[in-house]
Formats: sequence, structure tokens, C-alpha cells
Amino acid sequence: MLCDDCQKRPATIFFKEILPKKTVELHLCEECAQKRGLATTKKMSPIELLQKLLKEKTAQDAQVICSGCYLSLAEFKRTGRFGCSKCVDSFGSYIKNLIKKVQQSDKHIGRTTRPGEKKGMEIFKLRGQLKKALESEAYEEAAKIRDKLKDFGVENVE
Amino acid sequence: MLNNIKWLFRSGDNSRGCGEDREIVVSSRMRVARNIDGVPFEPKMKVQDAHYLINLIRSVVETRFKGHYLDLQKITHLEKESLLECHLVSPAFIRGDKPAGVFITDKGTVSIMINEEDHLRIQGLTCGLDLPYVSSEVFHIEETIGEDVQYAFHETYGFLTSCPTNIGTGLRASVLLHLPGLVFTNEVEKVLTGAVQIGMAVRGIYGEGSEIKGSLFQISNQHTLGVKEEEMIETMTKLTHMIIDVEKKARDVMLTKARNEFEDKIFRSLAVLKSARVINTDEVLNLLSAVRLGAGAGILKDITLDVVNEILLVSRPANIQLYFGEVLEERERDIKRAEYIRKRLGGDGQ
Ligand SMILES: [Zn+2]
Ligand SMILES: [Zn+2]
Repeated sequence: MLCDDCQKRPATIFFKEILPKKTVELHLCEECAQKRGLATTKKMSPIELLQKLLKEKTAQDAQVICSGCYLSLAEFKRTGRFGCSKCVDSFGSYIKNLIKKVQQSDKHIGRTTRPGEKKGMEIFKLRGQLKKALESEAYEEAAKIRDKLKDFGVENVE
Repeated sequence: MLNNIKWLFRSGDNSRGCGEDREIVVSSRMRVARNIDGVPFEPKMKVQDAHYLINLIRSVVETRFKGHYLDLQKITHLEKESLLECHLVSPAFIRGDKPAGVFITDKGTVSIMINEEDHLRIQGLTCGLDLPYVSSEVFHIEETIGEDVQYAFHETYGFLTSCPTNIGTGLRASVLLHLPGLVFTNEVEKVLTGAVQIGMAVRGIYGEGSEIKGSLFQISNQHTLGVKEEEMIETMTKLTHMIIDVEKKARDVMLTKARNEFEDKIFRSLAVLKSARVINTDEVLNLLSAVRLGAGAGILKDITLDVVNEILLVSRPANIQLYFGEVLEERERDIKRAEYIRKRLGGDGQ
């Protein structure tokens, strides 16, 4: 479908306004929609914006490598997905600008996480030990492991 | 293994009851995305990393909460589709090829996907409008897990996610709205464009928004950076209240201007559901839209919104097969679906 106004470019923006006595329907290209001040009716979603921005490539992209997971910036631009928690810093100012455009913000102001001693790994190991102890019928040993787990606030140990 | 899956069919936490304005807000949902520091993200994750992560998270989650764990590689295609139809997992999750699984709490209201696009996707839902409640359930689990494992977190960008569009809060909140009034008065586009202008995404829940698809629309937030979780939830709630107000006015207009026509449509729709012998999902969606409207407006006194929600859920292609406990071809499904609905609504020839 061609643009109603210029009849040259393909129409990409569909505009519908329901007025008291009639319905106005317009099919416009981006340029003509902007002239009429209607372009804002079609806002790009963050995902569409990301996909568009990732298409801008440079010759150096393959040489920029993340120190944490060895993902190259070129690979990132192909998939739009980070490989580890260090990627954002490894790709530095490129990511800063990208995120600012996609998210319309450059700073997190929400919840945080408390760093510190995490018991997950320890619980994981103890549960493994408990399973083994029970299998080999070492009940005294199992009772000790249960006590340790209780110290971590774990009650639900079958 | 999921012989008795009826617990899956509960939409929302029945023990607590639903949120507000149920005749318009079908459900409120929220999810947060989290990754574990030191474990590669999805594109760089190897099979052994995936197994490690599952074991670690299961050990934490299963010691802290009561629920079921489902290993994605051990359940059938039908069961995966059913989880999707129940909104307990995402489409990307069941289509992934890495080891993955989902933990569903006993109440059936919160699910934890392990190895989705992010290591963890914690999501909750309830019927009606109550995002603060869903949020408290989700963050209770998020905080508990966060005491045992270190989430990937960045000074500037907040919680790190695989995709830049989720970075920051990792939060996506959404409401599923039934808007037959605004569809009738032709205002739905205008109202929903307004939602897009303030940064929300809008889509028809089962296809692009048309009346034929049951007048159901989903609204969700698009941005996850630079806005606090509580503010996002407040904005979504305020917006939803605004839409509820205009929908109520539109329903008044509709029922005043064309009362007989609408009552006719509502009672006919119920009559068809009560007596059909072969029925597909699109027709159910369309007829249920009218029945939901009638139930909400007090025109259909014997039909509760609970029944409407249940039929909406159980009628879906995978769920109807699990409900009857047998694999059914499309045609057989349409017959069994009709049978189930007649029974549920106390229709004729059960
Ligand atoms: Zn033009
Ligand atoms: Zn990396």
C-alpha cells in the first residue's frame, strides 16, 4: 500500500480517528506522518529499537572481547544477548549509549541485592552429604548434617 | 507423571480470593528476571553449567518452599503446552533446548523458571487487579533465594539480564483486561494508544485486538531501568483504574443504548455454550466474552466469573486433553470441549 499523501513511499503508519460523524483513516509513510505531526502514534518498542541499533556495525567489533566470557562485541550485535555479568563493562561506552537509548534511562534506582556470605553452595553440598549418609545408613552422621542445615534456617529436609 | 494436574487449572490464589474489579480485570501478573553471579549467561552457557545451576537453585528452592519441580526434559509436549496455557511458563522457555525446569509453589500462584533466557524468571499471578499482592509474593521468593545465592548486580545498571531490555529491575508487570464496552463504543484504540504514550505495551492476548478474539487486551510495562519497582506497579495500577472507569462508562452506554440487543447476545451465547456438540477455541473465546459481560453486569445471575475463568483455561487445546487424560485430535478435542462446557454450565444432554 502506498502512502495516501505522497503516493510514492510505502505506507507504514496507519492512523485511525473516530470523529462524531465519520471515521478518518490514513495510511502514511513515516515522513508524511511526521509532517502531519502524527508520527508519535507509532512508538518503537524497546525491543524494536534494540534490533535497529544492533545493526550499526563497525570494523573493530570483532576485536572487542569480554574479559569474563570471551563474547565479542560482533557476536553481541548478532544476538543482542550478554554472555556474562562482565559484558556490560567490557563493552563500555557502546553499551552505555545503547542502554540509554533503549531504556530511556542510564541509571538503576530500584531494589538492590546484599552482597555477603551466601549459603546456597553450602546447603547444596550438605544436602548431597545427607543423601549419601542416609543411603549408607549412617544415621548418626545424618543427624549431624541435619543440625548444620537447621543452623542455616533450613527446616524442610526430608 | 502429571496425571492429576487439576491443581494447574486454578487461575490465581483461591484461598485468598481475587483482586478488585474482576468483571474487567481478568488477571494481574508480574515476573522478575535474575541471573547468578559467576555463572555464564544463556548465550555462553554450556550443558554442565545448566545442570549445575538447576542443582544449585533446586537445592535452595526445595529446602525453602513447598511445591513441585518439573524437569522440562522429562515431561511431554502436551504437558509443556499446558504449562504455557496456564501462564506458568513463557513460550521461549518451553521451546529452549538446554536443560531447564520449573518449580511451582503449592498454591500454584508463583512459578520459578530455571534456565529461561535468564537463569531465573520468578513470576506470580492472581485473578482481578492486585499487582501489589503479586509483587509481594514474587519478591518474597526473590529475596529468600537472594540470601542463598549472589545475584548478578551492577552499580549503575542494577540487576543484569541477558537482554538489555530487561536490565535494571528485571520486572515485567501486566494486566489482562476484558474491554467489550470500549470495543463497542470504538474507543478502545484511543484508550490503548494513551497507554502506549506513557510507555506501556499493548497487545490482544490471543491475536491482535479484535472483538472476535474475546475483547481481551494485555497491558505491560516496557522499561526496566530508571524507575523503581513500586512506582512501576503504582503507575500500572493507576492506568488500569483509569481504563476500568472508561470501560464501565462504555458498558453503561452500551447497555442503555442497545439493552435488548445485548441481553439477546448474552443469553444466546450462553445457550450455545450450553448446548453445542462441537466447538473450537475461537468460538469459545467469542461466546465467553459475552457471557463474562453478562455475569459481570449481573444479567446472568447463575454464572460466576470463576466458572468463566475456568472454562477459558480448561478449553485451551492442551488443557482439554489433560483434563480428559487422553491425547485427542483436533476434531475430537472440539467434541470433548463441548462436552466439558455443557457439563460445567449445567447444559442439556450431559
Ligand atoms: Zn508519504
Ligand atoms: Zn561477558
